[in-house]
Amino acid sequence: MNILIVEDEVLLAMELESEVEGAGHLVVGTATDSREAIEIIDATSPQFAFVDIQLLDGPTGIDVGRYLSAKAIPFVFVSGNLKRIPDDFAGALGAIEKPYTVNGLQNALQFLQIIIDGGHGSQVAPPSLVLSPAARATVAA
Amino acid sequence: MTENNNSRQDARDAGDRLVADHASEDPFAAAFKATRMPMLITDPRQADNPIIFCNAAFCKLTGYSNEELIGKNCRLLQGPETDPDAVSRLREAIAAEKDLAIDILNYRKDGSPFWNALFVSPVRDISGTVIYFFASQLDFTNIKSKEAELARARHLAEEEVGMRTADLTDALRAKTTLVHEVDHRVKNNLLTIASIVKLQARMTENDIVKRTLTSVLNRVEALSTVQRKLLNDEEVGQFDVADFANTLMIDKIGALKRSDIHLTTDLHAVVVPATKASPLALIINELVGDAIRRGLSDGGGEIHLEIRRLNGHFLIRVVDTVTPVDVDKEEAAFSQAMLEACLKQLRAKIDRVVKGHRTDVTVTLSVKD
Repeated sequence: MNILIVEDEVLLAMELESEVEGAGHLVVGTATDSREAIEIIDATSPQFAFVDIQLLDGPTGIDVGRYLSAKAIPFVFVSGNLKRIPDDFAGALGAIEKPYTVNGLQNALQFLQIIIDGGHGSQVAPPSLVLSPAARATVAA
Repeated sequence: MTENNNSRQDARDAGDRLVADHASEDPFAAAFKATRMPMLITDPRQADNPIIFCNAAFCKLTGYSNEELIGKNCRLLQGPETDPDAVSRLREAIAAEKDLAIDILNYRKDGSPFWNALFVSPVRDISGTVIYFFASQLDFTNIKSKEAELARARHLAEEEVGMRTADLTDALRAKTTLVHEVDHRVKNNLLTIASIVKLQARMTENDIVKRTLTSVLNRVEALSTVQRKLLNDEEVGQFDVADFANTLMIDKIGALKRSDIHLTTDLHAVVVPATKASPLALIINELVGDAIRRGLSDGGGEIHLEIRRLNGHFLIRVVDTVTPVDVDKEEAAFSQAMLEACLKQLRAKIDRVVKGHRTDVTVTLSVKD
């Protein structure tokens, strides 16, 4: 998959990029604020995105999420404070809570890949991934 | 003028007749005149229902003389602040020939107001016709002003409470924001530390360096998992050991990628104060990590983690049945040192029983400490 990373901490973005590429995906861009994120979305049409909520220009990750959602691009929030996520998850599939572990992230990635590929059934989300109410309903269906 | 004089004469005559009906020694008339309660009688059969008799207490209350009152309607007591609703109710009761008790603001001759607890009652003759109205008054201005004072005091107190509550709510909101901000920074810092270690581990070509960094990362990630669990629950400052252990085990199973090593759990909710979270998490991490290290041979095996309360104690038990392999001595010694430090901090006891390929490690600590 072509993946966008939206994260204001460059070190964290770098490491996430390594993990994502290690899992066989391509990172098409990393953004540190919402303006940059929207530019990359428009320019590259990624297939998936990781979105931190607190960015360089404020808690604008939610806006980036709504923008992705409007374009039907699946994404997850990556945040240290999941309480900031609105009830409807702004269209996100779910959220990965910081500080995640290498294995927690890999488990989450694997599960997300199954959802995106349209697979479901007896799948249970790993504890490292909090599913949105909409995604929970899809997985349970 | 003449007409006015005439009607006043009529009223006085009516009063005289009323008194004349009673012998001068009539105790009722004497009582009416002498009582300290202001009272009066009006004659509804005369035009405008004038006062035909009033006692000295009534004159004293209102400041009018008997002369000034006889022949007048009682409305001369009303003034600018008298409630028109109270006046209407009074008028309606008289028209309907009914009793009425009402609180009404009245005015003295000098214009000073007083609160009047007024009682009006019709007096009927044998045929049932109303021939008089009797009225008694009670000045309760003192009570009324105390009521107002109380109401004012209560209002002030309520305002004060409202202000303090608003202040406290603001302070609480600020504090909550601060706690979340600090929590957020701790989480970001932990992830940054992990990222630095991972970055270096990725870049090094030296296996020993890589192994060392991975070993550090393993412990940092155990602490990261603790931090994630700390502020999420309603009960801040509490740490659910079983919840932590479940997440840890799922992480480790994912990391192993070994279908021949089975990790099983028997976890019961044990909640401890947050101050114990880190050493407890590291103990569980070291015990399970040690079992996995010893079991990484081709033979595979079973590793079982149990967490429960037992006789007022808290028990962590790791049982493994693995075909042991030689472990890295340095790594094993480091793990042992970590384990001992954490056990010492929690004043926990450890018991290790090895029988063949089966290792049974039990850690117990007092929940109350």
